[in-house]
Amino acid sequence: MRSLQREPGVLLALLAVIVLVAVFIVYPQVRVILTPGDTYVEFFTGGTWRNSLIHSLEVMALSTTTAVALGFVYAYAMVYTDMHWKPFFRLIGILPLLSPPFVVAASYVILFGPRGVITYGVFGQTISVFGLAGIWGVQTIAFFPFAYQLIADVLSRSDPRMEQAARNLGAGSWGVFRTVTLPLSRPGLGAAILTTAIYVLEDFGNPALIGGTFTVLPTQAYGLISGFGDLPGAAAVSTILLVLALVLYFAKVRLDGPRSFVTVSGRASSMPRPPVPAKVSWACFASCLALAGIITLVYGSLLVSALSVAFPGNPTPTLANFEYIFSGPNGTALQNTLVFGLTAAALSSLLALVAGWLTERGRWRGRRALDLLLIMPAAIPGLFFGIGYALAFNEPWLDWLDRGVLIIISMIFWNIPVGYQAAVSGLRQIDRSMDEAATSLGASSLRGFRDVLVPMLGGSIRVGFVTTFVRAVTTLSVVIFLFTSSSTVATIRIFQLVSDLNWGRATAFTVADIGLSIAALGIVAVLARGRIALGGARA
Amino acid sequence: MVIKTDRSYDRRTFLKLAGATAAIAACGGAATAPSAAPTASTAASAAATAKPVTGTLSVYSALNESTNNDFFAAFKKAYPGVTINVLPLAAAGELQTRIETEKASPKADIFIGGSSEFHDPLGKEGLLEQYNSPNAKDIDPKFKDANGYWVGWYTGIFGFISNNSRLSEVPGKPATWDDLLDPKWKGKLILPDPVKTGGGYIFMATQIFRFNKDEAKAMDFMKKIHANIAQYVPTSPGALTLIDQGQFVGCPNWAHDILTEKSKNNPIDLNIPTDTGFEVGAISIIKGTKSLDAAKALVDWSLTKEAGDLNVKLSNRGSTRADVAPAPGSPKLSDVKLVNYDRQWATDNKARILKLWQTTVGL
Repeated sequence: MRSLQREPGVLLALLAVIVLVAVFIVYPQVRVILTPGDTYVEFFTGGTWRNSLIHSLEVMALSTTTAVALGFVYAYAMVYTDMHWKPFFRLIGILPLLSPPFVVAASYVILFGPRGVITYGVFGQTISVFGLAGIWGVQTIAFFPFAYQLIADVLSRSDPRMEQAARNLGAGSWGVFRTVTLPLSRPGLGAAILTTAIYVLEDFGNPALIGGTFTVLPTQAYGLISGFGDLPGAAAVSTILLVLALVLYFAKVRLDGPRSFVTVSGRASSMPRPPVPAKVSWACFASCLALAGIITLVYGSLLVSALSVAFPGNPTPTLANFEYIFSGPNGTALQNTLVFGLTAAALSSLLALVAGWLTERGRWRGRRALDLLLIMPAAIPGLFFGIGYALAFNEPWLDWLDRGVLIIISMIFWNIPVGYQAAVSGLRQIDRSMDEAATSLGASSLRGFRDVLVPMLGGSIRVGFVTTFVRAVTTLSVVIFLFTSSSTVATIRIFQLVSDLNWGRATAFTVADIGLSIAALGIVAVLARGRIALGGARA
Repeated sequence: MVIKTDRSYDRRTFLKLAGATAAIAACGGAATAPSAAPTASTAASAAATAKPVTGTLSVYSALNESTNNDFFAAFKKAYPGVTINVLPLAAAGELQTRIETEKASPKADIFIGGSSEFHDPLGKEGLLEQYNSPNAKDIDPKFKDANGYWVGWYTGIFGFISNNSRLSEVPGKPATWDDLLDPKWKGKLILPDPVKTGGGYIFMATQIFRFNKDEAKAMDFMKKIHANIAQYVPTSPGALTLIDQGQFVGCPNWAHDILTEKSKNNPIDLNIPTDTGFEVGAISIIKGTKSLDAAKALVDWSLTKEAGDLNVKLSNRGSTRADVAPAPGSPKLSDVKLVNYDRQWATDNKARILKLWQTTVGL
């Protein structure tokens, strides 16, 4: 990228991104912290956060380790091996992200609780998912897809020639993995650890529902808001979360160091990857299958209860739950969910890509700050993000602003971190000579970006699109302070039905939400095929 | 400059939104258009009222999903000139926070449902309109705010749900709250989170009043019961589901909701331990409403016998009106042994007591 003064287009793009980030990420959070009240400082000196902080760190260390390990195995299996049933495993790999609040965690309880259908019904055990072990297990499954998506994207773009070269020089398959594959996956691995850790830290639903008497920072923050109406105190908890995210971020920057991870350069490569030993292939298949088994069980039980009168007590089959959810305001809610989710996902992944290019390829001052700000939303509990928007944009002069649009904007910025991380790690793999070739032939760097880099970053765009979409269609906490009766969404309806103890309808709504989301993703994938290389992570 | 970027951005979003909507419609989405606005033309038939009330009300409702529809339909029948937009969210704490964050430009006219503890602070912050409904004159003063910021129109009693098939594992249904301290209850008892739910807090305040506001004794009780509790559930209804399934044996919870669960043939039972507490479900008018007459009409109507009877039928809750009979199987407020519940004290000391509890049990 040449100097900004000589490229007004780039300068304009940069200014636009900075303004958007300032208005839609920074300003709402500042409004939350500046809520009148002196409890902000009081909270830090009070020290009630210490237990929650320790618990949060404990959960983060445990869940991130297992989720990333699992994500790596899954990604490796999908990209490197020729195992069977890949389309099935691809679906399983995004399913845990599609978990509307309350219902999925509750179905773990139905299956694995003290009187769980599996734990007690099948094995006669009274072990319980409640407590630390339960949070750990459920979060591992809930968050491994982030790690899987980010790592698979990077692995699929790594150059097979390096592995072939190592092979030719006499390295065994373990040697190739240890000295070539693993080191080259580091940008993806770093992004996966950072993202997963931050999302685990921010997770409210699982600790709240199966935490037993175990509090973490987000549950404490939620309690401060709903029990005490103490916004500044809750903002103080949010600040602790942000500081933790900051520490993780700098740890990652250090870990990455100034190394180069370029594996995509100007020379064409059509060489196949060296084959993975059959034993490894089968081991990968077995692990993926075991994981898929648990996930199928959880989501299968949702489907069964959606089709029952009252599962597990009264499993008489019925279609009444589905008839209900497509009637009246419920249809509107499902429609809004899809429209909001798709719009937010499209805009968020594009913005993430442009922002990633500006910070990764740019050589301007302060790009680290922008880099950091684009990761921060992952550490902001959804509740704060929503409250921040309610405080910042509920002004009389903004009354013309449609709430649906505001919800979309909040989803774009709350969910930008994964797409942004994917774009940055993708760009770090692509040699600068690629875009320089375009610019030295006279193209502007914007044009080089659009015509050369974007087509190569299809996988990263896909990661951003999919994660933003699935998070947008399953979030409750961001929307709860913003929705109106005409801009209601599926998660709000699910929450209502759960509160009304209508488990059949709540699960039917969840199944419809998940099913329509998968259908929408499928349609988008078909429409986009051929335009951008969506096959990135599919190899 | 900020504004300019903001606007152009929104225009883009709108276009995308329109495009996406069209795409979904083209894909044959099953969704249907929102139902048409209620007809106001039938207002002419309301000959009963001298001057028909008109207006549009935006209502924040913490009532149960199953109550909302029938309840507001009945109101519309009585006041055909009023259009109602309900924002249903069965979480009174969130609605209270919403009203607080929206004070720069209020979006609601009425806040209905939820214990008065959620309405009272809003009144003190000056976010509610004072109104003494003519229909409130016969309501017992303990069910309404002396300043007229809110008025109680329904009641809920705190009871105990137990799973019949697992009762043999414990000493039995608790006759008093102290019975729950038996170590046989360890790991088999759950409680709605006192911080996150109105019910959990009312349970704790009940203990304080049981010991004549001796906070040390009440906290000692809460600490002992903490040892038996397996999970502080983030929503009150969520706890009922866990007992229905038999994951745990018992839980202090709302009597009306327990009755509703029992009517669905779940293997559960309701009993009311002595010295229990109760809630007063409130309705209040948000300050700055542009439809004050319609808002007053809704408050008036909620206090009628007709509305009371309907709500009892829909939700199993009681009424603050003496002439409304309780739901079948439901105890009358006057028939159970209630603790001397000082609602104003419980509301004013809520934050302090919750903090005291958190430090006591180490949460």
